Amino acid sequence: MLVAAAVLSGCGTRIPADPDGTLDRVTHGTLRVGASPSGTLVVVDDGRVRGPLVELIEGFAAERDANLEWTVDSEEDLVDDLEGGRLDLAIGGMTDKTPWADRVSVTRGYPDVPGSGDASVVVLLPMGENALQAALETYLDEELSR
Amino acid sequence: MKTIGRTDLPPEQQQALRSAIRWEWFTIAYTIVTIVLIALVLGGSQAMRTAWIEDILSLLPQISFLVALLFIRHRPTGAFPYGLHRAMGIGHLVAGVALLAVGGSLAFEAISLLLRAEHPAIGTVHVFGQTVWLGWFMVAVMAVTAIGPFFYGHAKSKLAPKLHNKVLYADADMAKADWTTTLASIVGVLGVGVGWWWLDGVAALFISLGIMWDGWRNSRGAVLDLIDQRARTHDDKSVHPLAGEVLDLLAALPWVEDASVRMRDMGQVFHIEAFVVPRRGKVSVERLEDAHERIVRLDWKVQDVQVIPVRELPDEAEI
Repeated sequence: MLVAAAVLSGCGTRIPADPDGTLDRVTHGTLRVGASPSGTLVVVDDGRVRGPLVELIEGFAAERDANLEWTVDSEEDLVDDLEGGRLDLAIGGMTDKTPWADRVSVTRGYPDVPGSGDASVVVLLPMGENALQAALETYLDEELSR
Repeated sequence: MKTIGRTDLPPEQQQALRSAIRWEWFTIAYTIVTIVLIALVLGGSQAMRTAWIEDILSLLPQISFLVALLFIRHRPTGAFPYGLHRAMGIGHLVAGVALLAVGGSLAFEAISLLLRAEHPAIGTVHVFGQTVWLGWFMVAVMAVTAIGPFFYGHAKSKLAPKLHNKVLYADADMAKADWTTTLASIVGVLGVGVGWWWLDGVAALFISLGIMWDGWRNSRGAVLDLIDQRARTHDDKSVHPLAGEVLDLLAALPWVEDASVRMRDMGQVFHIEAFVVPRRGKVSVERLEDAHERIVRLDWKVQDVQVIPVRELPDEAEI
């Protein structure tokens, strides 16, 4: 396995990779995020989004040197947009029990996001964009374990 | 266990049977551990899911072998005058049909995933402060679980011919082919890793076709024995040589003018009807009993023998 890992990384292939190259496009580019208001986690004021989960996404975008483009909508519309390739991430009150898991990828649950109560908060992303998911989960692990 | 049905097992077969039972229990324990291990790393990979279900299904032959043993050891009774040997064939058939059905549904799932172009999602896990791609754990678990079948597959394939047990043989054969499943699932996961999402579905399809093939071979073999095809070797590759040996034995008797044999596989043991045409149309009970004795001494599998004097040999019997 280590040999395989060495060979594959030697060829300049990142594992995991995105079939649609989202992480590469986002880095030094634009991260399109959908938000669905949820309690104190994601708050929408006059079209401006804020809240602890929003801050985490802002941090992630900063790490990838990406501009943020927000879309506020209902959960179902956000899932439609993820499927249609119009969004890169979606946040809101989704937890690790989310029923959207068969249409979009779902990150691991993060119970330590401030304002989430007892729930394990997840971020939705397009199905199978595994490099993006790995990068985001790595960032969230680092941020939330501090 | 010293007898199965009316058959007394020779020491070599007793030993082989004890060994087979131990291997089957070991396989069940080992497989349960692999099922739990794979369940821990089961992500969005269809290939992994298919390999996992294959692992669960691979318990069927062992379970049907052990359950059938409980039945076939009983001596024949008035209610079951031929003994309960067919229990082994029924277990074989049930395992085969289950493999065929589940393999078919997994193949259908894999094809529809490919047609929908659904990209498999494999995330990360957080262990010891490190975020690691789950795919690496899948590859590691699959590589580790591939070791067992290699050993018990070979052990069982040595025991199956000694016991003339087709369930054990099929079980060993599937275990020996298990590495193809492992390799396919690893290829599928690494495919997802490099962004070739379709490789996962292709691997899943490959594994499920393997399950269907196992199911087809097992069901076919079990049905052919249950409808009393002429007895064949444990691997179904050729006609069993015992029928020929019985014929040679009978032909060598001075009072026998002509002989033929019908031999069917009851599961482990054979049922033989030997037809003999005596010279000048006469034969004594002593001679018939003597012929019976000689046939029984040929092999432990042939203790259920009828020697039937006839004027003319039946058409369908082996000459």
